[in-house]
Amino acid sequence: MEEEKKAKGVSRRDFLKGIGGGTIGTAVVSTGLIRGEEAEAYTREAVGTGRRKAVVNLKVNGKNYRVEVEHRNTLAEVLRDQLGLTGTKIGCDRGECGACTVIINGRNLYACSQLAIWMAGKEIQTIEGLAKGDKLDPVQEAFIEHDGPQCGFCTSGQIMSGKALLLRNAKPTEAQVRRGLSGNLCRCGNYNREVEAVLAAASKSR
Amino acid sequence: MAQAPKEFSVVGKRIPRIDAYERVTGQAQYTGDIQLAGMLYARVLRSPHPHAKILGIDTSKAEKLAGVKAVIHHLNAQIPWASGGRTHRRFIFNNPVRFVGDAVAAVAAIDRNIAEEALGLIEVKYEKIPHVLDPNAALKPDAPKISTDGNLSVGTGNFSAPIEDSWGNLEAGFKEADRIFEDTYITKHVNNAQLERRVTVAKWDSGKLTVFASTQGVSNARTDIARDFSLPLSKVRVISKYMGGGFGNKNQAQDYDYMAVVLARVCNQPVKLEFTREDDYIGMHGRWSSEQHYKIGVKKDGTVTAVQLDAVTNIGAYRKQSGNLSGTDFYQIPNFKKVIRPVHTNTVVGANYRAPAYPQAVFGYASFLDQIAFELGINPLDMFTRNRIEKYKNKTPFTSNYLEECVVEGAKRIAWKDKWHAPGAVAGSKKHGIGMALGGYPYRPGLGAATIRVNPDGSAHLLVGVTDIGTGAKSTMAIIAAEALGIPLNQIQVTNGDTDVTPYSVGESGSRTTPFTGPAVIAAAEDVRKQIFAIAAGSLKTKPEELELRNGEVFVKSDAKQRMPLGRAIARSGDLIGRATTNPSFKGAEGKSFAAHFAEVEVDTWTGHVNITRYVAVHDSGTIINRIPAESQIKGGVVQGIGMAFTEELITDSLTATPINPNYRDAKVPTHLESPEVEVIFIEHPDPYGPFGGKVVGEPPITPAVATIANAIFNATGKRFKVLPITPDKILQALQV
Repeated sequence: MEEEKKAKGVSRRDFLKGIGGGTIGTAVVSTGLIRGEEAEAYTREAVGTGRRKAVVNLKVNGKNYRVEVEHRNTLAEVLRDQLGLTGTKIGCDRGECGACTVIINGRNLYACSQLAIWMAGKEIQTIEGLAKGDKLDPVQEAFIEHDGPQCGFCTSGQIMSGKALLLRNAKPTEAQVRRGLSGNLCRCGNYNREVEAVLAAASKSR
Repeated sequence: MAQAPKEFSVVGKRIPRIDAYERVTGQAQYTGDIQLAGMLYARVLRSPHPHAKILGIDTSKAEKLAGVKAVIHHLNAQIPWASGGRTHRRFIFNNPVRFVGDAVAAVAAIDRNIAEEALGLIEVKYEKIPHVLDPNAALKPDAPKISTDGNLSVGTGNFSAPIEDSWGNLEAGFKEADRIFEDTYITKHVNNAQLERRVTVAKWDSGKLTVFASTQGVSNARTDIARDFSLPLSKVRVISKYMGGGFGNKNQAQDYDYMAVVLARVCNQPVKLEFTREDDYIGMHGRWSSEQHYKIGVKKDGTVTAVQLDAVTNIGAYRKQSGNLSGTDFYQIPNFKKVIRPVHTNTVVGANYRAPAYPQAVFGYASFLDQIAFELGINPLDMFTRNRIEKYKNKTPFTSNYLEECVVEGAKRIAWKDKWHAPGAVAGSKKHGIGMALGGYPYRPGLGAATIRVNPDGSAHLLVGVTDIGTGAKSTMAIIAAEALGIPLNQIQVTNGDTDVTPYSVGESGSRTTPFTGPAVIAAAEDVRKQIFAIAAGSLKTKPEELELRNGEVFVKSDAKQRMPLGRAIARSGDLIGRATTNPSFKGAEGKSFAAHFAEVEVDTWTGHVNITRYVAVHDSGTIINRIPAESQIKGGVVQGIGMAFTEELITDSLTATPINPNYRDAKVPTHLESPEVEVIFIEHPDPYGPFGGKVVGEPPITPAVATIANAIFNATGKRFKVLPITPDKILQALQV
C-alpha cells in the first residue's frame, strides 16, 4: 500500500493535533413536533421537487401532530426523526424487510414505502401505541413469553403485522400466521417463535 | 432427555429475557435511534470499479451544496484501519480502490438526504487497472496484484502462506484404505444480512471521544479506535446497549466508525453515519466462499483412514479474518493434512459470519462422507456414528463430548431406521428424503471480568462489558449472577456494553461470552458473598463460613431457622462491591459443543422446490443456562443454514465485477414461509469447566445445517449437489440428466 503512504494530506497524528477541541452539547434532542429553524436555509437553486416542504397533519397512536416535512420524507423517517417514535425500525428502506411495519387504517404497511405527505387524515398506529397505559397488547405479552425478539430489530414490525392480522382474523391458523408475517424478515431466524407468539395471542384474546 | 444433576434455582429454567419488555414496546434504544443536539448525518461514496487508481477527487460541487458540512477522502483523512487482525492494515479510504464498493469518500450534512445528494456531486477521476475476480486465477503468477504482499493472503505469520495443519501419517493412512475417493465441493459468498444496517454515532467532548457503535464488542472496538487514532483508552468510550444483529460482521470497530469519528472532529458536531442496505451488502463483508478438494481414504466398513483437503477460499480485497476451513473438526480422522489458500480478489471482503470456517466446510466433508457411504453401501447413520470425533486431532480428549448421545437421540426422534430408504428410490413426483450431519463449535476459556454491586437493600447491580446481539447474553449473565449470589433474578439490574462503566469483555463473537465472562460473574459473586457473610455473621452471631445466602435471605447452614433478609443484614454497610477478573484454562483438554442434525425433505421434481418437512437439532452444549433463548438460537442457526443451502449467494457479475443482488429481495434470505418448525433437543451433561457446566450455543447450530439438508436432498433424489446454493434450477437440471 505504498501509494497511500505517499498520498498528500494530513496524517492521523497531524489531524488530531491540528484540531482544537470544542465542546459539543450532549443533551438528547427533545423531538419537537415541528423542527426549529434549520441551521442553514436551502439556497433557491438547490431546492428540487423532493425538497419542497409541506405541512401535514398526522394522526399517530390517537394523537394529532402537525409537522412540516419535505415531500421526499418517508413516514418511517418522520416517525423516527421528528416524532421520536424510534420503535419503528428501518432495515432496508426499500420495502423488502418489514422492520418499519406500522398499521395504517387497519392495514399493516411498510412505513419506508409511504411518503409522509400521503398520510393526511389517516390513522397510524406504531409499536408505541399498542399498549393501553401499562397494559401490554396480548401480542406484545406473547412475544415476551415466547421469546419473539432475539436481536429485536425486526420485532416491532413482526408485532405490528401480527396485530394487523388478528384485527382482520381473530383466529388464524398457523399457515395464515406465517403468511400474515411473511413480509417481515427476521435474520436471527426466529420465525418459529414469532408464529408461536401470534398464535398464543390469538388464543388468549378469545 | 438427560437432566442436569444439580438442582439450580434459576439456571436452566424457562425464563423470558430480562430486557424483552423493552424490545417488544419499542423502548429499546438501538444505535440508529440515538439523536443528539446538532447531530449531522453521513453517507459513504463507493467505488464503481473493481480496481482503479484515484487520480483526483473534486469535492467542490458537493461542498457547495447547501447543508453539506464536510467531505473526507483518502487525501484529507488518511486513517489506518486494522479491524479484525493486526496483520494487513489498510486505510479507511484506499488508493487504489480494490473492489466495487470500496469506500472512496464520506460526506456529513445536516440531513441524510442532502448527504446522499452530495455523494452524486463528488467527481472522482479513476484510472482503471486490471482486476481479477476468480481466486484460482488470482493465484496465477501473472494475475493483477491486489495486495503488495501477493494475492495469497498474509497469514498469522505476517507473510504470504497457506494455512496448514496435519497429524498422523497421510501416506500410511491412504495405504491402509480399501478405497480412495476424490471430489470437489464449492460454496458461495453469503452476506450476514442482519436487520440493523450499519450505523454509528460519534461525538467529541473536548478530547474525549464517545462512539455509540453497533458493535458486537465494545472493548475490542475501543482498543481498535484508541490504537488507530493514537488515543489513550481512557479517552475513548464505546457504548452498545441494544444491537440489531451482526452474526460476525459487526465485531470490533469498523471503517465507518472511524469515518464518523473523523467527520465529528472536522465538523465539531456529533455525526451519525448510516449505511444503506446496499452499503451493508457490499461495504462490509460476508462469509468467504470456498472450493474444497478432498481426497479421502476409507476401509470397506466405512472407517476413514486418511483425509487430505486442499482448498482455496476467497477473502476478497482485504484481509479481515483467516479464510480457514474447519469442517472436519467433528469427525475422527487418524491421518490428516489440510492446505487452505485464502486468496485476495477484487471482490467484496469475505470474513466472519456465524461459525466462520465451519458450515461451508461441514457441507463439503459431510456431503462427501454421505456420498462415500452410498458408494460403499453403508447407511449414513452408521457412517456418521463410526466416524464421529472422539479425540481432537486424534490425540487430545475433550472436556466433555456427548456427540454419540446426540446422534442416538436424534436418530430415534426422527425415526431414522423407519424413514431412511435407498437414495432416489421413492416413486412419484414428490420425493421424500432424509439426511443428517454432525457439527458444533469450539468452546474455549479466556479472559473475563465482572463487577457486582450489592445495595444496602439487598438488590444488586451486575456490570459486565458484554453486548447482547440477540443471543440473550445480558439475561444469561443475570441468571449466572442470580444463581451464584443467591439473590432473586428480579432484584438484579444488568448494566452492559459501556466501556466507561463496565469492565472488559471479549466481545460477543466466537461463542465466547458465556465461557469467558460467565466464570468472572461467578467469581465476583463469590467475592461479594464473602463480604456479606463477614457482615451478617455479627447479627446472626455465628462465623462467616457458617452462613449461606439463598433467595435473598442469609441463614445459618446448620440451623436454617436463624435467618434474615439480605437487606436487613447489610442495611448499614453501604454498597458492597465484588469484582473479579478470571482467565481459566483447560488442562490437557480441548473444548467443543457438539451437534447432530437430522432433516426430512420433500423434493418436488416438477418445480425443483424443496420443502423441509421435519428438522431435528440435537445439541450437547453442557448445562443450558438460559433455556428459552438457547432454543431460539438453535432454531435461528438452522434457518440461516437453510438460506445458505437453498438460495443465498452474493453474485458478482463477471463483466462489470459488480455485485448484482446486494439486497434482501435478490439475495433471498429465508422468510416465514421457508422456515420449518425446528425441534430442539439438548443432551445435558454439565461440562467440568463451563460456568455451572455450560458450554456454548450461539455458533454450533449453523455448522451442520447445510450438509444435513444437502444429504436429505441426495436421499430424496439420488443426485449429489456439490455446488451451493442448491437452487431449483440445479435440481431440475440434475434430475433431467
